[in-house]
Amino acid sequence: MLVSRLLMTDGHEISAPLPSAALQSSPQPSLQSPLEAATLEWIDQFAPYGVIATDRELRVRSWNRWMEQHSGMEAKSVLGRKLTDLFPDLEKRRLVGQLGRALEGEVSVFSTALHGWLLPLQPVAREVDFPFMKQTARIAPLVTRGQIHGVIIVIEDVTQREWQSEILGRQAARDEILAWALAHLMKAEDPRRITREVFCKIAEHLDFDSYLLHLFEPESSTFKLHSSGGIEPEQERLVHVVSSETIPWLAEAKEGQAVVREHVQSTTDPLLENARQFGFGAYVVFPLLVGSTPLGLLCFATRTRDSITPAETDLLSTIAQYLAVALNREKTDRELRAAQQKLNEHAQDLEQKVADRTASLKQIIAELQTFSYTIAHDLRAPIRALKGYCEVLMEDHAEHLPADVAAIVGRLRNSSIQMDALTRDLLEFSKVSRQDLTLSPLDLSHAVPETISLGGVRLVACTTVQLPLHTVLANRTLVVQCISNLLENALKFCHPGIPPVVKIWSELIPAAKKSGKIETGHFSRSRYSLSEPGLETEAAANAPRVRLWFEDNGIGISAEAQGKIFGIFERGDRAGEHEGTGIGLAIVSRAMERMGGECGVESEPGRGSRFWLEFRAATPANPA
Amino acid sequence: MELTSVQKDTLTELINIGYARAAGALSDLTGHRITLAVPEVAIHEIEKITPLLHEVIQGEITSVNQFFGGSISGNAILLLDKAAALLLNRLLTDRPQAGVLDESAREVIVEVGNIVLNACLGVFGNLLQVQISFSVPHLEVDDIEHIMRSIRIQDQSFRYALMIHTRFHLRASDVSGYLVIILGVTSLDRLILELRKWEEREVG
Repeated sequence: MLVSRLLMTDGHEISAPLPSAALQSSPQPSLQSPLEAATLEWIDQFAPYGVIATDRELRVRSWNRWMEQHSGMEAKSVLGRKLTDLFPDLEKRRLVGQLGRALEGEVSVFSTALHGWLLPLQPVAREVDFPFMKQTARIAPLVTRGQIHGVIIVIEDVTQREWQSEILGRQAARDEILAWALAHLMKAEDPRRITREVFCKIAEHLDFDSYLLHLFEPESSTFKLHSSGGIEPEQERLVHVVSSETIPWLAEAKEGQAVVREHVQSTTDPLLENARQFGFGAYVVFPLLVGSTPLGLLCFATRTRDSITPAETDLLSTIAQYLAVALNREKTDRELRAAQQKLNEHAQDLEQKVADRTASLKQIIAELQTFSYTIAHDLRAPIRALKGYCEVLMEDHAEHLPADVAAIVGRLRNSSIQMDALTRDLLEFSKVSRQDLTLSPLDLSHAVPETISLGGVRLVACTTVQLPLHTVLANRTLVVQCISNLLENALKFCHPGIPPVVKIWSELIPAAKKSGKIETGHFSRSRYSLSEPGLETEAAANAPRVRLWFEDNGIGISAEAQGKIFGIFERGDRAGEHEGTGIGLAIVSRAMERMGGECGVESEPGRGSRFWLEFRAATPANPA
Repeated sequence: MELTSVQKDTLTELINIGYARAAGALSDLTGHRITLAVPEVAIHEIEKITPLLHEVIQGEITSVNQFFGGSISGNAILLLDKAAALLLNRLLTDRPQAGVLDESAREVIVEVGNIVLNACLGVFGNLLQVQISFSVPHLEVDDIEHIMRSIRIQDQSFRYALMIHTRFHLRASDVSGYLVIILGVTSLDRLILELRKWEEREVG
């Protein structure tokens, strides 16, 4: 069998069909060794390649089993026949030249990418849709003793490899179009504006000639044509509005679902009348849904085919879902923007109302302050006159007055003195509220002793100052006023028979510790009050503070009273036993407030009180 | 060994004849008009060829290597850098450009290399009036040092290299590569002798 396949019919020998042997120019032995014979037999029977040898006239002289299997032609039917007779298209495809050049000594290589195949053989794999087996081939001269005797052709089946590569290529193209569509739809602020560009390209890529996109109108429960491609204007008019009621499957439609209609021209279904009129052979419609909310309908159609492949439907379904997501995102964004706009308008409206009311409140406060100042100022002269006349009556006419009248005049005089003090304090309070204010560094080490010395011998005697004190940002006049009022109270509210003792010191409160420094039981009146405009900036609020303490051994203040005493006309628990107008601490509180500071007290009835004034510290980083 | 300018011109002319045949074959094959140009030809000692090539072609090199034997013997190699190999494949096949040469693309490069090398060696065969036998071409992807080293190891008698700068022009693009023919002393002497004779014949 081997001999019949490998020897020429005329007995002329073809030796060494291995390509490497073609290079050997040394004489070959004319008789085969057993190894050479075995090698040739292997090539003939088992080689996984097609091996053909021809003579110089291109008549087949060897045709191995692989060739028999894949060509469907047995060796005995082809041996001796010209290769170009067996495969006439070799001449048509101008491949005979390659065989001719092999007879001149050249070796040729045939790649499948440039030729597809050398010989039209049937592909083994059934799933491929190539017309012929994809091949890589090599053609070489058969040389022995320096003479070319014929040509050897070696054919390799690369169909599977090429099919895999084709599938991967299609997959890559599919991924590319999906990525492109996704990027365009998601990037667009309004995806509705780019649908024509996107779907025309997709239709072209997938060999569809038309597309229609309808968007849902909730008010009328209809689908209105938004954009289309490959449809005549008069045809567009026919499907301009589609009622939900004319789409029987819509009520049960699911996300990603496809409705495919094939062989449209050969059906009589009245629902497909428009599609038949448009000349469609097949079409596929996707409901654009998010959950069960309809957003639209997307349709791709072909006039040249009667069917649509599952791969096409699958790809278009993904694109339809991308579009549904993009449309839904745009709708949500639009609603969100509208809500945001409404909220902004409402906030602006509210801000304006607050500003208007604040301005109106400030005006009322200013008017009230002016009114109280005027009243206090205008009342002082008549009160003083009243006091003066009472004194004239008591001093110059005492002997003429009956005893009960003298007592009444005495009470009148005391009341007028009390009223005078009240109007004076009210004027002070008004002044503190109204006067122009500048803050500058003030060394408390000087300001406190100076204020004490103005208070008289008794105050000097009972007061101890722990020097040095800190430097603060404050208004000197207001600071003197606050210190005087606190010291006056310390002397006033003392235990009968026990000499008052007052200690004064200051402490620096670093910025971070400030808020934590106010312990339970403290009263901080000014914390809740309106600050002086421009003083309580964020930087000022975060600046280090100085707290000036006044500790006395007086009667103390109950916790309940501590919450009130800084209010105007408010007095402590045992105020009846002591003189006073109830304005002193209100002046302190207002003065501290105006300097951007705070004040407060710690106290226990019977065990004395500790009042404090808190100022902004005058540090190099916090100058006036 | 230096070629005289006349010898260089002669050699360039001869290679151009071969390249015209190769360009015709490639044009027929692909349906695109393809031309092949030879901007430069030079002969170098084999020790010097690797550094010289390294200057003009770097990185991952695709080589199509074809051994030839007969009265003269040697090794013919077409060298393309990675970008050139990928571009040439894309221009010839219209397949989308991938980042690597797949099996199919490697076969295309082998076929193109085979056509160019055959054409060039065919001209030498005609010039020397000898029958040259060829091996089946094979493709190798490596750096230039490894490619050249493996060729020298195959045959220590190789002493000289003919370096032919080759430019493919197709579809408004240029793809540049190098064709290197490595020869022994005897083969080169014969080649130069025949060049001189050819020159004399042409002048005469």
